[in-house]
Amino acid sequence: MVLEKDIFKEFEDIVGIGNIDDGEVITNVYAYNWCMEIFNYMEGKEPIPFSPIPKAVVLPSSTVEVQQIVKLCNKYRIVFKAQSTGLGPWNQPSTDNSIIIDLRRMNKIVKIDEKNLYAVIEPYVSGSQLQVEIMKYGLNCHMPGAGPQVSPLASATSMNGPGFTSPSTGHSARNVLAVEWVLPDGEIMKLGAYGLKNNPDFFHGDGPGPSLRGIMRGWAGTKSGLGVFTKVAVKLFPYPCSTEYSVKGYSPNYDFEIPEFMKLYVMDCGNFKKLETVMLRVEEQEISFMCSYLSGFAVMAIFSNSIESLMDKIAIGQMKAPLVVIIAARTQREFYYKQKVMDFLLKKFKIKNIIGKIYTPNPTFYAEALRSNLGLHGFIATGGFQSTKGVADTANVCLRSTKSNIPLKKGFIKQGVIVNDFGEGTWMTSYESGHYFHMESPTMFDQTTEQSVSGMAEYMEKSNQLDLLKHLGAPFFVEGTRMHELFGPHMSNYHIWLRKIKEIFDPNNISDSGFYITPQNK
Amino acid sequence: MNEKEYNQMIKRCLRCSICKWIPQLQIKSQKYATICPSIDMFNFHAYSGGGRIIIALALEMGRLKPSQELLDIVYKCTECGGCAVACKFLNTLEPLEIIVKLREKLVSLGYGPMPKQQQYIESIKSNNNPYNELHENRLDWLSNDIKIDPDAKVLYFVGCTSSYRRKEIVLATARIMNAASYPFKILSEYEYCCGSPILRTGDKKSFIDQVNKNLDIIEKENIDTVVFSCAGCYDTFKVDYPLEREYNFKTLHTTELFNEFIDNSKLKLNNQVLQTVTYHDPCHLGRNSEPYEEWDGEALQMMPLVSLNMPEKPKRCGTYGIYESPRDILKKIPGINFIEMERIKEYSYCCGAGGGVKSAFPEFALKTAKTRIEEAEDTGAEIITSACPFCYTNLNDGIIEKGSNLTFYDISELLLMAIGSPNKSIKESSTEVA
Repeated sequence: MVLEKDIFKEFEDIVGIGNIDDGEVITNVYAYNWCMEIFNYMEGKEPIPFSPIPKAVVLPSSTVEVQQIVKLCNKYRIVFKAQSTGLGPWNQPSTDNSIIIDLRRMNKIVKIDEKNLYAVIEPYVSGSQLQVEIMKYGLNCHMPGAGPQVSPLASATSMNGPGFTSPSTGHSARNVLAVEWVLPDGEIMKLGAYGLKNNPDFFHGDGPGPSLRGIMRGWAGTKSGLGVFTKVAVKLFPYPCSTEYSVKGYSPNYDFEIPEFMKLYVMDCGNFKKLETVMLRVEEQEISFMCSYLSGFAVMAIFSNSIESLMDKIAIGQMKAPLVVIIAARTQREFYYKQKVMDFLLKKFKIKNIIGKIYTPNPTFYAEALRSNLGLHGFIATGGFQSTKGVADTANVCLRSTKSNIPLKKGFIKQGVIVNDFGEGTWMTSYESGHYFHMESPTMFDQTTEQSVSGMAEYMEKSNQLDLLKHLGAPFFVEGTRMHELFGPHMSNYHIWLRKIKEIFDPNNISDSGFYITPQNK
Repeated sequence: MNEKEYNQMIKRCLRCSICKWIPQLQIKSQKYATICPSIDMFNFHAYSGGGRIIIALALEMGRLKPSQELLDIVYKCTECGGCAVACKFLNTLEPLEIIVKLREKLVSLGYGPMPKQQQYIESIKSNNNPYNELHENRLDWLSNDIKIDPDAKVLYFVGCTSSYRRKEIVLATARIMNAASYPFKILSEYEYCCGSPILRTGDKKSFIDQVNKNLDIIEKENIDTVVFSCAGCYDTFKVDYPLEREYNFKTLHTTELFNEFIDNSKLKLNNQVLQTVTYHDPCHLGRNSEPYEEWDGEALQMMPLVSLNMPEKPKRCGTYGIYESPRDILKKIPGINFIEMERIKEYSYCCGAGGGVKSAFPEFALKTAKTRIEEAEDTGAEIITSACPFCYTNLNDGIIEKGSNLTFYDISELLLMAIGSPNKSIKESSTEVA
């Protein structure tokens, strides 16, 4: 399907010549995404990495242009799907009666308020870009596990957004302040302090009155199912150590001068019970820059930059319940205190730090940790990677979820359809001083073989069902009408409320519902 | 990259967009965070390294057929290889090699290269140079003061662009070698285009003909080393020729040679060059000049779905390009205040001229040059220097178009100033490079 010429012209009048394309090559490229084959399989379609092909792709440069595009979509009943940096199947249109709004040209850091600790950004500012600019003020930002190349705006408004630095930088859902939001009907909504009549600014994200943040994104975001976000303020945090950041040498064998007050601990807690206790104590003390439980296999991966170098680290992989902690400080005194606390906890729980004794990572590891690049190591084994679970709950529930998943995963490993990580492939991190935790189960598969794709899809479905059966909360990929209708009745019928929101905000169902929820009558 | 590897790799793009940025660990500012001139200019994802991998996959799957739109996108790429460096920090995909092979496939199917590029190829076949210049004028640069030694063991391969378009480079190069009492000879009327413009635009068959033609000639000469002042010729001989036919001479870029001259006191740097200078890494001399390492290993399946290359297969990440020699030279020239741009070495930003872009899409080339010139201006430099006649021409065009106060000199010209030889070069401005 292509746009009628007159309609194309109307879009072109908004964005300018060269900023809209309906050619078959451009539109086919936008139909591709990572893991799309899994979602196609789950929907009973051919397991290929292509979604329906959009009619066109538009590149707006301002909120006004986005608003005009959305209004035009409503006028002609064309579905829109907005994307920022575009990683993942949730960027894909669910219908060929659609256009993609690629927000790439909206790439400004609008404001850095170092005093009040927030930055206002447009959709195509990447995590790295924001970080390097705020580092000039001694500040840091949160970046999701997807890596520093993705959009913090997208993560804050539309996704879950846990990251390796979550203990010190929270997670995207909790970092979003005021927002500029083009609603599905084209109206511009200003959330929080940005909507004030006098002196509007971005410092606050709620009220006065009932907070609309929950409607805007809720737990997992709407994935462009409820309009387009054009500006967002995100919280900033003190940079954990010296902002001297100089990576020398040549890729991929970079060298990095580890900041003076930074230390890595990798400890085997031996079992999940002890892991829970230690992790809670570390987080309670608010000393960690990073604190993650990773399976042995995953610890091997974060220290490796190729599958071959991963296999050198089998000794690390044999740890039963590894905890990876980084402490960082800006002064000797702060560093001394944090080390002292860690020493105390190690002694108390009779665990040992293997770093510097059994294993010493390349200094580049520290550079990657500071730049939130570690999540990308999940791709090094096969290139095919996706997570199940996605629990946000107590440490205990997260570990229960981990344990219950192991036999299920082992079954699929035995079939040879997913990679053997001993069934334990897990990443768990804490939020807000250990008040709650994030847990997901990364799994590697081969996206080029139908057997592995279908096996991975079936494993994901079974894992979701297990979460229901064992009351382990809503996983990451409860997305789209089918999944919401499956989980909603078990969870306060949230899907009914979600649907009401959709119906009220998007009466024409123009904002793509594929990874959100369809209105009742559609 | 063989057909099997190609067909496997095109299915594995993560669409992560890493290919649009310099390596994440090297990002120093928002302004200079990107690596790909093509996506910077045209914005649609199809114009990125990853986008072109998707195009390759869609073609193989029959979702797309060759078309003008497709050609336009595939050829609006400078083949600078920045995407590959960024991708391969952690991944094993080869975006640049996929783009090169995609072009080859299009040509073999009867599509591509772009018309202007085809004219250059035709000119190479008929005139031995892409510029439609008479072959007999190839030695017009040769002035009476240059000493050529027909018995020398070193051959200076001048290249088409220096011979016809950037004579200041060849003159400076020859004079420096003379000043260092370094005997060299040239192929004179037997020097032909290295074939780089043919290879980069996808006409593999014609390229192989050119390889054979050149090696047949050179191997008749009694030489042990071939020296290049052109980064394009150097890369082509050093990296691409051995994939088609082995040879037994050493290849050297002049920056390597000149640095040795200075270290061995063969050159006396008597004159101060009181300028602030920044250096632009040519893609062909930097990341793309890293040779392929032979690998005799095999992929062993360690467990279902996971194969290991045993021994580990070397990744070509731009690690071993020529980066330090030109910088060493600049640091040794008295008076020069050397200052770096943000994007350097293996993650240098392209000048915009490569991959046939300067000929087929001059506006794209010029815009990219202006971007790079702005980056150079931001350092506070007065001079931007490099070591490639393509970069010379395009960056100089960018300076003129932008109205920049910067001056471009090839590194050999700066060195010539430092040794005090008369610089008779004429600065030519030409937008025509292949």
